[in-house]
Amino acid sequence: MDKPPPHHESISSRWSFSSKDKEVTFADLGSKRIRHGSAGADSEMLSMSQKEIRDEDARLIYINDPDRTNETFDFTGNSIKTAKYSVFTFLPRNLFEQFHRVAYVYFLVIAVLNQLPQLAVFGRGASIMPLAFVLLVSAIKDAYEDFRRHRSDRVENNRLALVFEDNEFKEKQWKYIRVGEVIKVVSNQTLPCDMVLLATSDPTGVVYVQTTNLDGESNLKTRYAKQETLQKATDLETFDGFIKCEKPNRNIYGFQANMEIDGRRLSLGPSNIILRGCELKNTEWALGVVVYAGSETKAMLNNSGAPSKRSRLETRMNLEIILLSLFLIALCTTAAATAAVWLRTHRDDLDTILFYRRKDYSVRPEGKNHNYYGWGWEIFFTFFMAVIVYQIMIPISLYISMELVRIGQAYFMTRDDLMYDESSNSSFQCRALNINEDLGQIKYLFSDKTGTLTDNKMEFQCACIGGVDYSGREPAEIDGVTLKPKMRVRVDPSLLQLTRNNKATEEAKRANEFFLSLAACNTIVPIVTNTSDPNVKLVDYQGESPDEQALVYAAAAYGFLLIERTSGHIVINVRGEMQRFNVLGLHEFDSDRKRMSVILGCPDTSVKLFVKGADSSMFSVMDEESYGDVIEATKKQLHAYSSDGLRTLVVGMRKLNDTEFEQWHASFEAASTALIGRAGLLRKVAGNIETKLRIVGATAIEDKLQRGVPEAIESLRIAGIKVWVLTGDKQETAISIGFSSRLLTRNMRQIVINSNSLDSCRRSLEEANASVASDDEESVALIIDGTSLIYVLDNDLEDVLFQVACKSSAVLCCRVAPFQKAGIVALVKNRTSDMTLAIGDGANDVSMIQMADVGVGISGQEGRQAVMASDFAMGQFRFLVPLLLVHGHWNYQRMGYMILYNFYRNAVFVLILFWYVLFTCYTLTTAITEWSSVLYSVVYTSFPTIVIGILDKNLGRRILLSHPQLYGVGQRAEGYSTTLFWYTMFDTVWQSAAIFFIPLFAYWGSTIDTSSLGDLWTIAAVVVVNLHLAMDVIRWNWIAHAAIWGSIVAACICVVVIDVIPTLPGYWAIFQVAKTWMFWFCLLAIVVTALLPRFAIKFLVEYYRPSDVRIAREVEKLRSFSESQQNMGTEMNQIRDPPRR
Amino acid sequence: MSSNMASSSAGSGDSSAARKNSKRPKCIDYSSALLSLTLLDSKFTQQELPACKPILTPGWVISTFLIVSVIFIPLGVISLFASQDVVEIVDRYDNDCIPAPARTNKVAFIQGAAPKSCNRTLTVTKRMKQPIYVYYQLENFYQNHRRYVKSRSDSQLRSPKFENQISACKPEDDAGGKPIVPCGLIAWSLFNDTYTLSRNNTPLAVNKKGIAWKSDKEHKFGNKVFPKNFQKGNLTGGATLNPDIPLSEQEDLIVWMRTAALPTFRKLYGKIETDLENGDTIQVTLQNNYNTYSFSGKKKLVLSTTSWLGGKNDFLGIAYLTVGGICFFLALAFTIMYLVKPRRLGDPSYLSWNRNPGGGR
Repeated sequence: MDKPPPHHESISSRWSFSSKDKEVTFADLGSKRIRHGSAGADSEMLSMSQKEIRDEDARLIYINDPDRTNETFDFTGNSIKTAKYSVFTFLPRNLFEQFHRVAYVYFLVIAVLNQLPQLAVFGRGASIMPLAFVLLVSAIKDAYEDFRRHRSDRVENNRLALVFEDNEFKEKQWKYIRVGEVIKVVSNQTLPCDMVLLATSDPTGVVYVQTTNLDGESNLKTRYAKQETLQKATDLETFDGFIKCEKPNRNIYGFQANMEIDGRRLSLGPSNIILRGCELKNTEWALGVVVYAGSETKAMLNNSGAPSKRSRLETRMNLEIILLSLFLIALCTTAAATAAVWLRTHRDDLDTILFYRRKDYSVRPEGKNHNYYGWGWEIFFTFFMAVIVYQIMIPISLYISMELVRIGQAYFMTRDDLMYDESSNSSFQCRALNINEDLGQIKYLFSDKTGTLTDNKMEFQCACIGGVDYSGREPAEIDGVTLKPKMRVRVDPSLLQLTRNNKATEEAKRANEFFLSLAACNTIVPIVTNTSDPNVKLVDYQGESPDEQALVYAAAAYGFLLIERTSGHIVINVRGEMQRFNVLGLHEFDSDRKRMSVILGCPDTSVKLFVKGADSSMFSVMDEESYGDVIEATKKQLHAYSSDGLRTLVVGMRKLNDTEFEQWHASFEAASTALIGRAGLLRKVAGNIETKLRIVGATAIEDKLQRGVPEAIESLRIAGIKVWVLTGDKQETAISIGFSSRLLTRNMRQIVINSNSLDSCRRSLEEANASVASDDEESVALIIDGTSLIYVLDNDLEDVLFQVACKSSAVLCCRVAPFQKAGIVALVKNRTSDMTLAIGDGANDVSMIQMADVGVGISGQEGRQAVMASDFAMGQFRFLVPLLLVHGHWNYQRMGYMILYNFYRNAVFVLILFWYVLFTCYTLTTAITEWSSVLYSVVYTSFPTIVIGILDKNLGRRILLSHPQLYGVGQRAEGYSTTLFWYTMFDTVWQSAAIFFIPLFAYWGSTIDTSSLGDLWTIAAVVVVNLHLAMDVIRWNWIAHAAIWGSIVAACICVVVIDVIPTLPGYWAIFQVAKTWMFWFCLLAIVVTALLPRFAIKFLVEYYRPSDVRIAREVEKLRSFSESQQNMGTEMNQIRDPPRR
Repeated sequence: MSSNMASSSAGSGDSSAARKNSKRPKCIDYSSALLSLTLLDSKFTQQELPACKPILTPGWVISTFLIVSVIFIPLGVISLFASQDVVEIVDRYDNDCIPAPARTNKVAFIQGAAPKSCNRTLTVTKRMKQPIYVYYQLENFYQNHRRYVKSRSDSQLRSPKFENQISACKPEDDAGGKPIVPCGLIAWSLFNDTYTLSRNNTPLAVNKKGIAWKSDKEHKFGNKVFPKNFQKGNLTGGATLNPDIPLSEQEDLIVWMRTAALPTFRKLYGKIETDLENGDTIQVTLQNNYNTYSFSGKKKLVLSTTSWLGGKNDFLGIAYLTVGGICFFLALAFTIMYLVKPRRLGDPSYLSWNRNPGGGR
């Protein structure tokens, strides 16, 4: 995530949302219309927080009076229930949920149709079995999961918490906690529910919480109790007041409420509430009143899974499913129509035809029609019987197989060593189980920069103090205990020397000021931890901004060790000497000012203002008259830094005289106690004081590229994936990162669009469009900044931008606001059918990740929100290469083949059944036993396709990685298309005809009986269908052998078992028929004849029209690897820049 | 770039196994058996199980076709020979056995009481070795009609206990409230033409034992089940059964109940256990009782020897020869194509990105 320069949780202004909060709020809005322009959004959020909560939208909580609270509104108790079912509701509810799936409804309708006596094709057992089997398996799975949920619910509900009752704190189980009760939480305890803070052990009311369970962020967050409640809470008995707060919602960063105590009205914001699931840290105890409990807590409301996406292949497949339905209808119509014709032509003889016998004479002498309802009805019944018999034409089992295959694929993706991150000890995660194959078709990649391309481990690199560049350690000691910063920073010796030097040179003074400001002007919380050595303690700096952490660590390295921070003061160990500074005021970071400031009362009683911020916002508030040359020198240095890809910040300071301070203090007090427009007032106060600053220096922080990023980007580009990098960094930084990550190359022409108005934006875009349109050969990089994007997005300019971007080899968007990221993804997604993938690691990438077809989260430094919203999560950016080029390629090819094969294998069987109808007087007799019909798609042929779908690889991973162009197979949708579908269907007709007609002619006019011929057809179909698969298997390992040959053997065993049941008409048929040579001659002829055309055509195509995959397979098989490298490599070098697509 | 990329990817590929081991050092410390197990496990999870990856090279394909043709052509030839060896005498009598005046309304004749006896003379044109099978062949008779095949009760046939399981047998389920054994349309329509054969005026024995499957006689048709109420309904379909003989001995019924798969079928009537010489004339006295006229079904009497491959049917031999021939032709064609226009396998110039560099697709 690209953080806009550091932002801070405010101490004094408890109202406004930090910029991060705002981002997430937007992310949460998700599908809602995306707004652009940060200013407008900001003010809207502010106005919301000041809005009165309307009574009907509010809930009233009487503090420490749960009875009264729950009197009028019966609020949810604190017991949670994540389990879906109870013993009694399991059956109906589970069935209800399962039948949400169309596939099951189809099964059910067929099964129900079959129960009508006129339509009964299969026996009861045979018709219900497949559905019952699937339902049972799913139900067992659900029941097991639910059992585990029940168990964890029980554990959770029985945990204990201290609840204030009868004038003392008593232990109470979580499930009995009620809204309105006051609860005491001690350090390291997990919070049982959402509570508004009343008091804490800290006199200023600060409390630190860790929200790992909630959003995965491990750093500490500060929350505050209101000053007004702090004293009152000591005497809880008499505490009288109520809270009016909004209805429960799932926004974990938003909360608005009013509290009324003693007739005074206080406003509460998100910083006054602590949420269920968080852990209390660094605070002895905290008191809070329960506002949301149980299922209404924000943690529980957020407990839903990732939104489900449907894979492109599956959507594509629907067209062919419709075609298959049409085939099915055509087959049924044919059967019904021919049956009708036969009935009409023989209508006079039906009573006496030996094999029809319409009349039942046992009822009355003149006879009564038996099972005959007139030929209109007969057509109708025949049609629906045909639907039942041919039901597997719609390969419903395919959906279940696909799910199993995806689970298998996911298993191998998660276990892949190439995607195992050693540094974080995390393996790949598949969070969405239904879009594996989409990974093989990606054409646009949207990547965040910080934390995604880079490590997000900020490292202080250079400083520029007083216009002088210092680009190049020792622990402090107090009371015999050595305090060490947890992280070491590379130091510049000359600069270190300068700070050590006690000589009061101007240079040294500036350096000291510089580091003092770095140590002081932030919101970092130092946490001192013990180590195994009692004389050494570690200082860990916790904060929400990695940039600030880096700066504080840097200051520590230069001898300015921040040791303690409370809301009132900070303690800094300056080269071994403890110094205490009073924090008189703090103006938090906001995205308008793009800076923060702190006012310190120094030990020498002087009052100093330190300001830190982005260069663009800082130079405007500098005292240019006095320090013009320093500013110029600094600007030059900053340019150099950002060209090196460093993130820069500028630090300024000013000494405040008494009158200035008094003035500021008065207005600050007024603003921070204002009831309305507090944030705006505070911003104004800050703006007034942050002027005429003296420039102290500038910092440059390096955000290192992750390992393998340049290679990964190059691979992806060669694979024909368009890489868009979206970053919050400024243009120079972004471009330099672009070069170092090989997104940009020297021979690319850069088109830069940074305009400040709609018109200029339009002009430059159209110019750019004209220039790229006229020139085909040159490769172009488009660089566009966030301001221009404001004008472009939601506007007709989107089309122009899209055209330009399509022709560019690389696109770099800098200064992008989080919500614009989703806008950019949407821009591409709405204009092309190509697949998009978004990858990011931070909360600001959530919207983009959810917008893209495939969202990938990096589990990195910035918490787990991106991961929670993503479909796939992994540790490093470079894993994208094996993920897409290897697994994506495989999954796509496997799934594409599997769909076609499943269509084929079911259709072959249906057609065999259909051909037979033409020889049974157009009645739906099946020579194949009904059990074989049912088992065919479940047992005889399903296992190999699942195994092959999980395990087969058309190419090895080495060659896929070394030749990224092979990824084009998926992008061009070569693995599955309507053309392939038609080829498969023609092949299907041929194969079914071969299977059916060879025995038909061979046995015509012989003594063959139905069961024997049916067994021959069954075995022939199973052998042909499995050999067909065997012909297309690329890698024969033992599992593939076992699956394919095992299936054939299993089918034979089943046929034998069915034929040893004496009460079935086919008793012993298989033994009788297998004794004859005819049987085996037919089988051999069928297998060869059925597969001959496919074999010949497959060879011809592969030999004379070789696909890339085929060539690569030949290379893989026939040549040694090194040779192929040279061979294919030289020719690839000629096209270093991939062809534009 | 490519060399650089390749080496890095190759390196990571190689190191993966090593890395796996370092990740699980405890396994290495154990015996070598465990080590190999771990390696196998990692090979599985990394999808690198040892595998054979055949590809269709011209050599393989041409030899496959050659092998198929080499196998199929001889098989076709011996199949044809087997079929040619079979001597078959087929005599269609359904039309001729109706007296000429009655031919305008055959159904009335067959349902009437007039004598149905009919004489046929067959001439043996080629020596027939015993056993000679006597079949009746029906055409256009749908023994596989859905209504028909379902109309039986297999449990009733097997055991007297299930005599009352007749629900599937409608409309031939009971007669006067008592269950029919064997019930159902199939049994009801039992073929009832009879043949008496004589050669050169001496009776020719037709052995009617052993014409049904042994498995059916022993397990499917019970030896305690006797026909009851059979053909007692208002409409007689076919033959009657001797109520004193258990079903397991009623071989004509057992043969008939093995319903034919196809509308043209033969059923075994009996066996002649003497050789027939070339030029022998065989007189057949038959009772033309069975009504196939209502659906214009044909009736034929067949005397046939068998070969190891079955009856007289050239189809399979021709099919084998055709497929073998096609394969031979394909082998030849592919060889020529391979010689005229070969493609070097693994030639990178065929790769799409090399065929039209820069243009893309």
